[in-house]
Amino acid sequence: MSTVTGDPALREPAHKVSRRAIGYWTTTAVIWEGILLAVAGFVYFVVLPERWWWATAILVLVVIGAIVEILVVPRFKYAVHRWEVTPTAVFTRAGWLNVEQRIAPLSRVQTVDSTQGAIQRMFRLASITVTTASAAGPISINCLDQEVAKQVVAHLTEITGRDKGDAT
Amino acid sequence: MTQPPPLPPPEGPAYEPPEGPAYDLPTGPPYDPPAGPPEGPAYDLPPPGAAADGEWHRQSPRMLLVHPVRVLWSMAFPIVIAFIGISQSDNEWSVRLLPVIVVAALAFGLIPWFTTLYRFTDTQLQVRTGLLNRKEKTARLDRVRSVDLESPPLHRILGLVRAKIGTGVDDTRVELDGLAVADAAQLREYLLLRGSSARSEGDPGDGTPFRPPVVGEQLPAGQLPADRPLAEPVPDEVLAEIDWSWLRYAPFSLSSLVIVATAFGLFFQFSDDLGFFSQDRVTDAYEWLLAQAIMAMVLTILLILVLGWLVVSTLNYVLQWWNLRLVREPGGTIRLTRGLLTTTSSTVEEERIRGVQLTEPLLLRAVRGGELTSLATGVGSGGTTKLLPPCPRTVAESVGHSVLGTEGPLTTPVRPHGPAARRRLLIQSLWPSLAFTAAAAGVAWWRDWPWWSVIAVFVGVGLVNLGVAELAYRNLGHQLTPGHLVSRSGALQRQRVVLERGGIIGWVVRQSFFQRRRGLADLLATTAAGPEVVAVTDIPLPWAVELASAATPQVVDQFRSAGKES
Repeated sequence: MSTVTGDPALREPAHKVSRRAIGYWTTTAVIWEGILLAVAGFVYFVVLPERWWWATAILVLVVIGAIVEILVVPRFKYAVHRWEVTPTAVFTRAGWLNVEQRIAPLSRVQTVDSTQGAIQRMFRLASITVTTASAAGPISINCLDQEVAKQVVAHLTEITGRDKGDAT
Repeated sequence: MTQPPPLPPPEGPAYEPPEGPAYDLPTGPPYDPPAGPPEGPAYDLPPPGAAADGEWHRQSPRMLLVHPVRVLWSMAFPIVIAFIGISQSDNEWSVRLLPVIVVAALAFGLIPWFTTLYRFTDTQLQVRTGLLNRKEKTARLDRVRSVDLESPPLHRILGLVRAKIGTGVDDTRVELDGLAVADAAQLREYLLLRGSSARSEGDPGDGTPFRPPVVGEQLPAGQLPADRPLAEPVPDEVLAEIDWSWLRYAPFSLSSLVIVATAFGLFFQFSDDLGFFSQDRVTDAYEWLLAQAIMAMVLTILLILVLGWLVVSTLNYVLQWWNLRLVREPGGTIRLTRGLLTTTSSTVEEERIRGVQLTEPLLLRAVRGGELTSLATGVGSGGTTKLLPPCPRTVAESVGHSVLGTEGPLTTPVRPHGPAARRRLLIQSLWPSLAFTAAAAGVAWWRDWPWWSVIAVFVGVGLVNLGVAELAYRNLGHQLTPGHLVSRSGALQRQRVVLERGGIIGWVVRQSFFQRRRGLADLLATTAAGPEVVAVTDIPLPWAVELASAATPQVVDQFRSAGKES
């Protein structure tokens, strides 16, 4: 019988994502929050020129939210996001307020995809998605250094290619 | 339900299961899957019947009758409407138009027969459909995992069957309509044997060629060794048959409620026209008398509803579950046949059945009944198949155990998730109560209701929600047996999901911000079968890790902090 001593929790996955992920997340946050602020500003200054107190309150909240989203959240996420590939499994942690840890055994992996958006390419980042036969089971490793991502994909493809069966 | 056990201390041997040695799993290879289908080398068997030549085939010519009827049926409503409109308009040319419409509908109905083709190649079943948008669906024969046969009434009169063929991974199934009954039966056996033999490919076995017992096939004498048991028909192992005493559970299952609700709605529309409820009547001199009459009528309606419900639900039960037979076939497949007017037969490889689910809706639970469903891969329709109708829970449990091939997972006591989970559920239930009260306060302010009515609403709604939350906590629990992960959940409808440990293809540990503050987590076991995920919600985080680790140690143990195996 296997017994485990010490803190019975999952340890951290071994690797952090690329440091440039902070820049990437900040950039996307600036874009989205910029659009949101533009809309909110338009509504506040043009549509509602009466400057009601509650409209002001909402605008202030939106601005605070944007600042948090741009300055704080990317660093938070960088601290939480971690990943690891062992010879038998993939293990990731993601999120910031809500944290999610995912484990998938490589013997059950069906596809290994790698994606790189336009902004990710600017930061030389790439994401990997590993899918299993369960719709609830895909594992994403976001914002890896693109060279690392290439190696990981090659490694995963090589390992999963060895297994037979339909992995269900 | 006993007192919930306290949370385990953070240090030391954390996992002390409260009930017996259920978690005390043996070392070594942690999971030994049940014996698969008969082993032997691959065989090269042509498809049975007319399909053997590898040519494209049409559906049975008898489908020429089925298709137009289907089209007419689907167009019945517009045609009737058109007919009424025409008969009222006295327009002579439009009366002549009607037969044209009907003939056009019939002709239109014939198109599918001409455009649907199927053939068997050595490795695939291919089905072509469509006139303008041609589609070709293929199913790899060595991937066939389930075969369902279905005969609606018209098909039965004409001796036809519709087959649905499911392959391992894909959700969509290939449909083959208009097969003759005998062909369909042969095809079913052939497809399942092709599927099962493909997996034992490469295994030399004892060197004798593996031949399946195909129905109606004449084998030359002396071709099979005498000791080969497959040549003789092996009887099916019957797991369950319909017991009409279960009929008493029919009214307690709400699956045919929709029908009655529709009838109810129609009745009220009708009664509206009769003017029973018109305002003038109530306010006239016979007000009191009429009020009594209305009272009596409401009671009568209720009585009719209940009686109607009894009749409809019982009828539905009989129609659906007539001649129910659940058997384990010698080839390693589970087969379910049932139906009075529309007969269905669904067959799935036993290996593909990764678990079962026992559902106890509130009403059914009150009379100790339950419904049994299987979780399988490659069967389509969400991966779940009803195995039994509403029946005594003990029957559902024992049949479930024989489908699983093991005792215990459906009856073993589950481990409650402790006081933190209970607090979370109770506090969560306050939010909807507050929202409802806020809405009530708005209405009270608007309609000028007294202030205490708002408090009364809050207390009333809050108590109900707290009660439901307490129920949810009492139903919440998990367990691990040597072969299976067990998760029980639900408030009003309680369900116990049993998932084979070999069917777990990954884990997700999810913690919301508030769950992290309470040290709780949602543990999701992902799987290809059934709903593709089995959730153990609001479980203390250390227990979640222990549970995942105990269920699949070879995957999870390597990621445990300070984890040392002895």
